[in-house]
Amino acid sequence: MMDLSQPDQFDLDRLAEDLGALPDAPLAMPIQRLEPEARPGLLSIFLPRLNRMRKAGH
Amino acid sequence: MGVRPPQHGVLAIRALVLSAALLAAGLGFVVFLQFGASDGFDSFDVLRALLIFASTFWLAWGAFTALMGLTTRPPRPAAMSGPLRAMTAILVPVYNEDPVATFARIAAMDASLRATGQGDRFHFAILSDTRNEEVAARERIWFLRLLADTHGEGRIFYRRRTSNKGRKAGNIEDFIKRAGAAYTYAIILDADSLMEGETMVEMVRRMEAAPDLGLLQTLPTVIRAKSRFGRIMQFSAAFYSPVFARGLAMMQGRTGPFWGHNAIVRVRAFAESCGLPELSGKPPFGGHILSHDYVEAALLARAGWTVRVDDDLSGSYEEAPENIIDHAKRDRRWCQGNLQHSRLIFAPGLKPWSRFVFLQGILAYIAPGFWLAFLAASIAAPIFAPPINYFPIEYWPFPVLPVSQVSKALGLAIGIGGLLFLPKLLILLDATLRRRAQAFGGGMRALQSTLAELLFSSLTAPIFLMYQTRSVLQVLRGADGGWPAQTRGDGTLSFRDAWAASHWIVTTGGLVLVMAQWLSPQLVLWLLPVALPMVLAPAIIAWSSRPSRTRLFTIGTERSPAPVMDLHDAVLSRWETEIDRRSAA
Repeated sequence: MMDLSQPDQFDLDRLAEDLGALPDAPLAMPIQRLEPEARPGLLSIFLPRLNRMRKAGH
Repeated sequence: MGVRPPQHGVLAIRALVLSAALLAAGLGFVVFLQFGASDGFDSFDVLRALLIFASTFWLAWGAFTALMGLTTRPPRPAAMSGPLRAMTAILVPVYNEDPVATFARIAAMDASLRATGQGDRFHFAILSDTRNEEVAARERIWFLRLLADTHGEGRIFYRRRTSNKGRKAGNIEDFIKRAGAAYTYAIILDADSLMEGETMVEMVRRMEAAPDLGLLQTLPTVIRAKSRFGRIMQFSAAFYSPVFARGLAMMQGRTGPFWGHNAIVRVRAFAESCGLPELSGKPPFGGHILSHDYVEAALLARAGWTVRVDDDLSGSYEEAPENIIDHAKRDRRWCQGNLQHSRLIFAPGLKPWSRFVFLQGILAYIAPGFWLAFLAASIAAPIFAPPINYFPIEYWPFPVLPVSQVSKALGLAIGIGGLLFLPKLLILLDATLRRRAQAFGGGMRALQSTLAELLFSSLTAPIFLMYQTRSVLQVLRGADGGWPAQTRGDGTLSFRDAWAASHWIVTTGGLVLVMAQWLSPQLVLWLLPVALPMVLAPAIIAWSSRPSRTRLFTIGTERSPAPVMDLHDAVLSRWETEIDRRSAA
């Protein structure tokens, strides 16, 4: 084990990275659904008809 | 986890508190309507009565929650005994914090844990999201010092993310995705959190005893406040909060809170349930979920896990802002996070109480606006009031003078004052009778502290009302907080700093008085308790940021610091002496 009371002797950044490394034990964390799915509302049944309608004179 | 039957006792308490709050609000509505109609009935009277209804409901909800909390003592939940088998990670997310103070807390908690004989069942993980390279370099140096001091190699870890995606929630998520499978439990802390080893061991024991428990929240005590404002808030948190938390715990049932830190989670439950999406659209309502803790609690409950707050657990500490400006800055972030929850109230599958908690969080910031709107409507009301009809009865030769309704206005004011002050006075009475006041310097000192706190909170309420209302408007506009320069290290603010942060409140307070004098002179006296603190805001802010030297507001940890606080002080003092020695060399 290295003598950590003498940190000036080492490449500190590298040493901190090596000694600080977390255990390698991955765990899945699936994204949750929070927003309601966009479902067609009652009014939407009229939309295709409205879209198909042409203004008079055109 | 499967679907479980509702707890009928909890439902009954919710119904009782809701009914009482609605009744009080309804009473306020009717009394105000009678008062407002005394000079003729108009739409402004209805508007003001509705605003009184909304404001009173919010006050009454808080008051009856406290009353509920006074009716019971915290139960002592089941806990396993014997040596711990499960591994627990103690997560310390950091973001540009001073590594010396933060890592000294870790050294203290590590020593406290080892003293329990269960230290080998706990690992610490410092999860750095620090963006400042200079601070990051100091973190690495002090991490090595921490390892050397604690012989913590293989027990204390440090990792820095290259990007702080998802902020604190993303930081925790990153840990779980890399190392979560190595641990059964994770204690989530903040950089300023401090916990006794015994407390952490007890938290694990309680998790072991309840396999359906997904998250256990402690009620952290605020410590180490030095300023007048800080010590008053510290007293308030230590003296009143346990009772309010007890009342809430009675209503929450299995759908308790997560306040983001000083809590333990079952890692598997958290991983399966709490992966947060980015919300569609742009901030402030879209993007990362800011107040992630409320959402994580709701998601755990949605997945069938119990979320519980154990208010009997002592030995859990945190620090808090030392002045009104820092408090308001933090509040600004919370405001944005809570208003963002309006997107989630109708999220699929949430428990009704979780939806209500989101609504409560939003109301906490919207309700001050009701009071402000009420004041504005009251000042403007005379413009729209119909002229008084002195001869309302046909062929009656004598004038009918309006009956004075001042008694009704007084009654309403006393009622609202009662909702504000009575719970705190009852908590004082309860603390004195049950000898809890001993920890606060005895019954007489607790009485003086409570009265002084009531006076101070009455003075600062209009200032917070203004900051909160501005925060809401800023969030709705998508604007930045726009705060002036940083405060000094100890939190002390000069009058100039205070003025820079509150001159607009002074202007508003002055305008309120001028408008009232012009439009409704009879209102000026009634408005003084609100308008005067607004005019004096810079003085109040600067004065309250100064160091406190009074013996009022004493709390238990000031009289006798907790063991882990002593450990922290010892480590910090040793490290700071070393820094001074190196600087001198």
